[in-house]
Amino acid sequence: MANTWGYGAMTNSLGDIQNAKAIIIFGANPAVNHPVGFQHFLKAKERNNAKIIVVDPRFTKTAAKADYFAQIRPGTDIPFMYGMLNIIFENGWHDKGFINDRVYGMEDVMKEAKNWPLDRVADVTGVDASLILQITKHYANNSPGTLIWAMGLTQHSNGSSNTRLAPILQLALGNLGIEGGGTNILRGHDNVQGATDMCCLSHTLPGYYGLSDGSWKYFAKSWGVDYEWLKGRFKDPSWMNKKGFTLSRWWSGVLAGNPGEDAIHNAGTNLKAIFVMGNGITSTAQTKKVKEALDNLELAVFCDPFVNEGAIITDKQNDVYILPAATQFETSGSVTATNRAAQWRSEVIKPMYESKTDQDIMFLLAKELGFYDELTAGMKIKENKKDFKWPEDATDEIARIIKTIGLTGWTAKRLKEHQENWHMFDEVSGRGYGPMKGQYYGLPWPCWTESHSGSPILYNINRSVRDGGMGFRNRFGLEHDGVDLLAGKGSAPKGSANKDGYPEITRDNIEEVLGIKLSEAEKKAIGKNWKVDTSNIIAKKCMEQGMAPYGNAKARAKVWTFADPIPLHREPLHSPRQDLVSKYPSFADKKDHYRVDTRYISEQTKENWAEKFPINLVTGRLVNLNGAGMENRASKYLAKLTPEMFCDINPDLAGQHGIRDGSMMWIHSPEGTKIKVKAKYSHSVTNDRIFIPIHFAGVMEGVDLTHKYPEGTAPYAVGESANTVTNYGYDIVTQIPETKGGLCRIESA
Amino acid sequence: MSDNTKPNFARMKFYCDENRCIHCDGCSVACAEAHELPVEISRRKVVTVNEGIQGMEFSLSVACMHCTDAPCEEVCPVDCFYIRDDGIVLHDKDKCIGCSYCLYACPFGAPQFPSNGAFGTKGVMDKCTMCAGGPDDTNSAHERELYGQNRIAEGKVPVCAAMCSTKALLVGDAESVANIYRERVISFGHGVQSMPYGWDKAYGN
Repeated sequence: MANTWGYGAMTNSLGDIQNAKAIIIFGANPAVNHPVGFQHFLKAKERNNAKIIVVDPRFTKTAAKADYFAQIRPGTDIPFMYGMLNIIFENGWHDKGFINDRVYGMEDVMKEAKNWPLDRVADVTGVDASLILQITKHYANNSPGTLIWAMGLTQHSNGSSNTRLAPILQLALGNLGIEGGGTNILRGHDNVQGATDMCCLSHTLPGYYGLSDGSWKYFAKSWGVDYEWLKGRFKDPSWMNKKGFTLSRWWSGVLAGNPGEDAIHNAGTNLKAIFVMGNGITSTAQTKKVKEALDNLELAVFCDPFVNEGAIITDKQNDVYILPAATQFETSGSVTATNRAAQWRSEVIKPMYESKTDQDIMFLLAKELGFYDELTAGMKIKENKKDFKWPEDATDEIARIIKTIGLTGWTAKRLKEHQENWHMFDEVSGRGYGPMKGQYYGLPWPCWTESHSGSPILYNINRSVRDGGMGFRNRFGLEHDGVDLLAGKGSAPKGSANKDGYPEITRDNIEEVLGIKLSEAEKKAIGKNWKVDTSNIIAKKCMEQGMAPYGNAKARAKVWTFADPIPLHREPLHSPRQDLVSKYPSFADKKDHYRVDTRYISEQTKENWAEKFPINLVTGRLVNLNGAGMENRASKYLAKLTPEMFCDINPDLAGQHGIRDGSMMWIHSPEGTKIKVKAKYSHSVTNDRIFIPIHFAGVMEGVDLTHKYPEGTAPYAVGESANTVTNYGYDIVTQIPETKGGLCRIESA
Repeated sequence: MSDNTKPNFARMKFYCDENRCIHCDGCSVACAEAHELPVEISRRKVVTVNEGIQGMEFSLSVACMHCTDAPCEEVCPVDCFYIRDDGIVLHDKDKCIGCSYCLYACPFGAPQFPSNGAFGTKGVMDKCTMCAGGPDDTNSAHERELYGQNRIAEGKVPVCAAMCSTKALLVGDAESVANIYRERVISFGHGVQSMPYGWDKAYGN
């Protein structure tokens, strides 16, 4: 999404879904994963007569509330969407004006769509042609339509193509930048958006600033530390500009060099230690590899309110530490919701027993490692203080530095005001009333200045920039192959002084693009461009002119830097349709992909996988459990609802293998791993696929590990981890694992 | 026989909207947590019928329905049931002998029986109290031990409906519950609510 129009975030909000006339959901199950948010879908249905369309490999609780349900074969979202686009273009249902003014490269998409006639789409996806036609007709002709997705769309080896074609579908229909439209990605955990914004990732600096020397220098200055000191922390300066490992492949950093393992590029050394803070690493793909990696580390530290089962699955005997971390109720500060809005939280109680808050653990660690002063220097800069106050000064530091996504307005003072007045905001639009008038709840970013309203709907040109409006971001240059990348005439946000498309604002172009004159003092104080302008003169002048600091450009349907500039269908690495693998092969193998050589075509063609492993394996969540489930399985009432690990299996498929309802069964994966789980007959899956939930741990390949929990800490429910049998396969851009389209073999236990 | 000298009390009722219930179990878990129930007791249970069958699956949350002419009360051999003026059906655990005759009579499977002995933590027979406690002194330790929280006495909504993620489960005076449901039906297809009732008057637009 960031590569399509500038920002990788939900464009609208949960409340705004109530404004939709049609809701199409690809690979998401909000009735189970976002039960409170799902009320907005139901209200859209009730009050707005919106139809819900669910495209999913299984009949979920969300599908039970849908008007149309397409039971798609895992990993065929691209053919499904191209099938829709083909029908849309053929019938002229696309929004020609919108595409002309605000989209680059749609012609190539139109060309590819022609390769997907209805009968071919039906064959590849397994969905009836007539149903695809009905869904497309309904969705294209009921505007505004909102498009929802979650992990079912992203967790594929071509997930990054999926998440580009879904926005393209919305762009084709002009469903962007309007109430009730947008691409609304549902974040799966508390504060995922905030963690991403602050870059709990390995490929950028906080706020999506890149890893170039310029970015490092900006941060060194903003953090109040010496750039040379920062540089000296790396093995050599070139490592400052390189991406790190990903969560899904860190284990390769430990195991590289062993037979059959992928090679790594990590300055000539393997990883030796891991420090885990609040991450259920037992729910990441290929759990057996996670275990082997933990076994081979010199040091493993886990900080969690409950016992992290990483410490249970490993056979490592020494130098494994479990630190008691405090919960969110025992600390305070801001978090970011799925719709880019901030929420301030207060401390309810002091940390219990010997537990410590995450920040205190980090402060103590930094003191021991000798860089506590550098770590905390940035918090004292704003008011030139001797000491800092947590969390207010940390929040203000973020607001001071992060311009890219417009966090300037997120001062601790304002966020607290929103918390104290949250009853003064409308649930659908987020608009404030009374004392909160002129602001949107949680100041959804970009919130350009300390008096800005926040932006509840991205790329909405029907509002002025001062009131949260904007065009698409100018992020990919001014032209490509001779085609202008700035927005067409007449698509400037309401009240804009510049009625045309315009580039991102810099010190050098501000006077010309905004049509203003700067004073000498302003010229002296202004930063090089809007992303590093700590004087905030650029943002303030832009607000006066009703213009967005990041420019007004076209979204791009074509990403020329990607392996597939236009999203193309590629069969999963382990596909049940071997006949389609040669026609739609995976990518070429990728060297040094987040430091790990990653297999695509070589893995896909290594064997005829479907011969030995004919059944599709789909994983997902349960409503009563969350993530790796450590916390929830320690609640007796939640554990009671699903006391055992199970597998949803169609009675027809089970019958073929002599598996009875409630009896035990083995699931074998192409990786040579296996799990033993209880069979649960269910018609929610067809007889070519099974479903297993991801939240269990404490049993591995049939062996109960309960005795390994420290005394009194074993949860009420333990079980096989689904990810012990998920297959190898990682996205070509992001390294997200292909857990939503693998293969397996089953037998009665 | 009507008694005109008595004021009109509310008549408390549950209603679960099957178009909204998504079987998230927020209600049943909130109930168990609030009243600290033994795990084998399900005062409230969510049931899904025809799970996984397209066009036929639906879910509902069920507990004691607090019947006006309650069959449990009719059949109880020791007469431990009583119906409050607001219609909430309660029973006296100090009288109850745990015979389960009420389970035979109940159309909803509401009565529950703890498995840890006749005098277990929640007594002989246990069921939904609509968060109104029992016959003991309101908010006394004995009441809390046997029946759980008395939220009604504190002016709070029963915890199941308060927790309901989609507001499928409604509870309160039957007239108010009916009005909420009626508004949902009448507003069907008439567009999105732009702001909470009365806000335009109070705060301007």
